[in-house]
Amino acid sequence: MADLLLQQLLNWVVLGSIYALIAVGFSLLFGVLNIIHFSHGDVSLVAPFLALGAIQALASSFPAASGSLAVLLLCLLLSILLTGLLGVVLEFLVIRRFRNAPVMMALVATVALGIVLRELVRHLFPNGSNPHSFPRFVGGHIELAGVTIPLFSLVAVVCAVLAVAGLFFILNKTRLGLQIRAVSQDRDAARLMSISPTRIFRATFFVASAIGAVGGVFFAGYANLVRFDFSIDVGLIGFSAAVVGGLGSMPGAIIGSLLIAGLDTFVQAVVPNGASYRLVFIFLLVIAVLVFKPSGLFGRTVVEKV
Amino acid sequence: MSTVAKTGAPAASFSLTSLLIVVACELIGAAALREFLLVDDWRVIVGLLVVFAIILVAMQRFPAVEHRIEDAFDTQKPAAMVLAIIIVLGFPFTLEGNTYAFHLCVIAQLYAVLALALNFQLGSANIPNFASGASYGIGAYVSALLALNVGLSFWLALPAAAIAATVAGFLLGLPSMRTRDSYLALVTIAFGVVVNQLLNNLDFTGGPNGLVGIPVPELFGHSFSSPLVIFGVSLPSQANFYYLSALLVAISILFAGRLHNSRVGLAWNALRADELAARCQGINTTWYKVLAFAVDAFLAGFAGTIYAFYVGFISPDNFTFLTSVTIMTMVIAGGMDNILGVIVGAFLLTLLPEKLRVFSDYRILFFGVTVIAFLMIRPQGIFPQRLRRYGER
Repeated sequence: MADLLLQQLLNWVVLGSIYALIAVGFSLLFGVLNIIHFSHGDVSLVAPFLALGAIQALASSFPAASGSLAVLLLCLLLSILLTGLLGVVLEFLVIRRFRNAPVMMALVATVALGIVLRELVRHLFPNGSNPHSFPRFVGGHIELAGVTIPLFSLVAVVCAVLAVAGLFFILNKTRLGLQIRAVSQDRDAARLMSISPTRIFRATFFVASAIGAVGGVFFAGYANLVRFDFSIDVGLIGFSAAVVGGLGSMPGAIIGSLLIAGLDTFVQAVVPNGASYRLVFIFLLVIAVLVFKPSGLFGRTVVEKV
Repeated sequence: MSTVAKTGAPAASFSLTSLLIVVACELIGAAALREFLLVDDWRVIVGLLVVFAIILVAMQRFPAVEHRIEDAFDTQKPAAMVLAIIIVLGFPFTLEGNTYAFHLCVIAQLYAVLALALNFQLGSANIPNFASGASYGIGAYVSALLALNVGLSFWLALPAAAIAATVAGFLLGLPSMRTRDSYLALVTIAFGVVVNQLLNNLDFTGGPNGLVGIPVPELFGHSFSSPLVIFGVSLPSQANFYYLSALLVAISILFAGRLHNSRVGLAWNALRADELAARCQGINTTWYKVLAFAVDAFLAGFAGTIYAFYVGFISPDNFTFLTSVTIMTMVIAGGMDNILGVIVGAFLLTLLPEKLRVFSDYRILFFGVTVIAFLMIRPQGIFPQRLRRYGER
């Protein structure tokens, strides 16, 4: 019994960390740009496909090197960097043009962008309509207090913590972070301080997309599988976590993710036939939270001044 | 509130050029639609789209042309309306009995109703709603369940489903009292997902298999599954539903126009402009917000019922988050708070993915690219929202 409980707790923490990696990006982009980048989930889930592609390409050209951990890690790192760049490219091609458009316009444009990304993955990746198995890059288990913990779970949690800590470091301790915070507080005032908002937008997109990519890669590893339309659910849940926590608040996004992941694992473990009702419970929770805390758990309450 | 009524040009002077412009616009529009519906060659489809894009760019570049056309329609309102009715009534006879074209028309008209319904919220009051697909689904499922289990006829199921959808819309509207903007958008997304997942998992809704064998409506002993014979011309059975949905579109337009010109429409516009200021003017913002949700759900319930009885088979896949996004895109791409724009948006976005079938697998990709391109070419929508004009008449 205790075994099972610990197992579920572990699932909760792993899932929560993965959701958090994606939710943080939503929150960061909203804070800086004031638009909801709805395709963020789709951008994040391009990463596992890039990684798979890199692994397969390497395997065919250097059969000797394939399979080693170092090569695998290199592929993952490459996919994460490329996904970050993809975010920058999308900002340049599409999102830039909706910077001053009405909020709803930007929302619809990014939803359409998400559709385009999904379809591109489906068509450009060989055999993209079918699910592909995704390696867990670290196998094996360790015994801890009588519980077997898959090494992968540990690595996922540690990486998530490191990535989020890195983000906090960038935001709070570096010059770039200072500039990002300045732009998110007041775009015009930041410009007067000779900060180029355009440059900051690109940097933010790179950071958010790269962190999302880490989440995407671990999500694929967790599911042991990746499919082009995973990003619909992942994007929705990541967005929900960010909103429940309060858009623009990084700690909020993390708490929101843990909350949603907690309910997710709880429902799947306890409620009969829970796996098919999990989205119902998750989104009822979202509605409930927003009814009682209209701007999320840690969102800034908007005070309207006349 | 007579002072509020939107008026046409100051004096409706008769002008031959204006009349000609109106007639030319409507006929060219109808001809283009017919061509688009019937054509199979992908080169012609792409060509028509390119022409459409060029017209949009031109309208963007030369606003004077746009104003001239608008003026013409304003001064020749009765003539424009009569001609439009004649075109809608006569359109089926030009389709050469092509059942696929009829089917597309019916679906496009149902989406036009949905888009008009959503327009009350998104366009008039600027309230995001990603749950119109859910209201559509509730309408469809309630009417289908009533017909299958209770044996209710289509004509009784129609109001019943609309009432059920309205109640659901009302419930959805309640959180809107507290949340707003992106947060409200998420509440509606969540509602849509919950409804979809429940339809997908509950037993009495048939689960993922949906409901099958919804009976065909009848009117005065004429079954809607039999061909429609008018003036000795036999139209395929879809024509029945063509006229039914055209009637619904007409009612919706009338409804939308009346609401827009009423105190309610004005209150919604005030909400859009500035909620706080609206409240200071004594507008009960909560009530008008909830009302917008209820009105949207009401019309969506109608559309859902007609869809269920037309297709005879419904499943949760018809009413997903993406359905809601599509309806939303229709309103935004067509032009917020502009009745004609919303209808054009609905037709374009219904027909586009169907006509892009020639690209088989790539059609959804093209669809997404086209939507983004249109939003970039004309950020305010195909027919932008126009300023209210106040004055006599």
